Amino acid sequence: MTTTKTPSRRRINLWPYLLIAPALAVIGVILGYPIVRLFELSFQQYGLEQILFGAAQYVGFDNFKVIFEDPEFWQVLSRTIAFTVYAVVGSIVLGAFLAHALLRMSKPLQIAVNAILIIVWAMPQLVAISVWRWMFSYDFSVITGFIQSLGIDFPKRNWFVDPVMGFGIIGLVIIWGAIPFITISIYAGLTQIPRDFIEAAELDGASRFQIFRMIYLPLLLPIYVILISLSIIWDFQVFAHIWVMLEFRPDPEYYTMAVYAFQTSFGISEYGKGSAIAVVMVGMLLLATLYYLRRMIKDSK
Amino acid sequence: MKTKSWGANATGLFFLLFLGFPVYWMVSTSFKNPEDVLVSNPSIFPTSFSFENYILAFQKDYFVGSLLNSAMVVAATVVVSLVLALSASFAVARLKFRGKNTFTVVILLVQMVPLTALIIPLFLQLSSLNLVNTMPGLIITYIAFVLPFVIWTLRGFLVGIPQELEEAALVDGCTRPQAFRHVIFPLMAPGLVTTGVYAFIQAWNEFLLAYMIMASQENQTLPVWLAGFTSRTGTDWGPLMAASVVAAIPAVVLFMIFQKRLAVGVTAGAVKG
Repeated sequence: MTTTKTPSRRRINLWPYLLIAPALAVIGVILGYPIVRLFELSFQQYGLEQILFGAAQYVGFDNFKVIFEDPEFWQVLSRTIAFTVYAVVGSIVLGAFLAHALLRMSKPLQIAVNAILIIVWAMPQLVAISVWRWMFSYDFSVITGFIQSLGIDFPKRNWFVDPVMGFGIIGLVIIWGAIPFITISIYAGLTQIPRDFIEAAELDGASRFQIFRMIYLPLLLPIYVILISLSIIWDFQVFAHIWVMLEFRPDPEYYTMAVYAFQTSFGISEYGKGSAIAVVMVGMLLLATLYYLRRMIKDSK
Repeated sequence: MKTKSWGANATGLFFLLFLGFPVYWMVSTSFKNPEDVLVSNPSIFPTSFSFENYILAFQKDYFVGSLLNSAMVVAATVVVSLVLALSASFAVARLKFRGKNTFTVVILLVQMVPLTALIIPLFLQLSSLNLVNTMPGLIITYIAFVLPFVIWTLRGFLVGIPQELEEAALVDGCTRPQAFRHVIFPLMAPGLVTTGVYAFIQAWNEFLLAYMIMASQENQTLPVWLAGFTSRTGTDWGPLMAASVVAAIPAVVLFMIFQKRLAVGVTAGAVKG
């Protein structure tokens, strides 16, 4: 017999595949297939008719052509970018500022700030939105009341009539909710930096800003990259805040990419066009977070 | 050691107010007499104390139902996702098989697709499977969304358990499943708790998917109930704040207990770069 010569046909071990199968099936059906479908839809004419009777038609790049030729798309895009810059810069700057202050604040204050950071971090999104909605309500706003109590003539108002003011408040809600995670992450990084570095720099007469720029910033750069990437991912697709704070019917001046894609799909049943908007959104997010993605995949190897 | 500074304390105080005030305002509103809530010139400091708003909240239509729905969805998501992830992560961490790297990369990448983009095909997919407006539909969706992170994290814990322990058990006559149950599983406990808490918080807090998938009021989860809580005569803010406190408590308690573990996840090892 030739058994001595041919061990080549080893039995395939089925165990690993059986073990990953259930997880893979769930991820495949709920995430994998819809991801592929999103791209397919963006090249299809897909509306109510197609939902009811099937038979979607491929229309090439027509959906993209339509949205790129629509001035509203460009308005929505630039609005979303402006809002993202405001929210990301606001949360990173304030978060980092607080993390550095935490290093040098008195013990009781530090404990109090830490406690409130954890509580705000834990707040479910919809709880946060409800509270801020209450604080900026039309009739009973505590902010209006407070300003009036200072003796300033400040009639009650609909805070969301002016979109600049409205987005200012919505961004504030997002910054408020984002600070804890950012501060805690940066603070954790700061405490890992040996004190000697800082003391040596202080002895040499470095100013606080120089210490930040020459020591803290370069050492914490990887953390900043992660935090900025995550913030971009979160803030660029802002949806729930706008949708709920404007009571499920935001005016077109409040459309951001996510709201616009949602409205186009579910509001007026143009799923193909809505998907094309969503694809543009995914593409922009990929571009903005390319560095972070590369790192993540490298780390997994 | 640098001395404590006046500026740092002032900064701390400012942030204490900025971060703390909304929380304070929610809690203090929830404990006011209902007639003290809807006033156009509210006093910042507490004026009255009662549980009336909580009683009113629990009497509101669908509140208790949404609380129960949330509890059910959370329990199912946590249990099923841990079981599925445990078996998958074991394969990824301990066994060799073709396609393992692809599986890992898929798991990482799938997490990067923004939910707001995915919601369009996902909704169409769920409707074609007749899963819209059903509990299993929402639960399976949540499981899929937490699985990648849970598998990845459990894999990390498993890699940290020395292979020799398992081999020793096999040498001593354990079968593979026995070795897993008696040796590895107990060592995995911290990992299971961390990922379980993660899945709990995700499922408890999630809004957009629940809002899309659970259309009818009987099927609402708590976040969806909070979002839709407005009546024809305007919003009844007192009970809404009481309900918000109820919704916040489980998450706050879990964060308080597990804050260290939840914090390390994202930025671990990033300083060394």
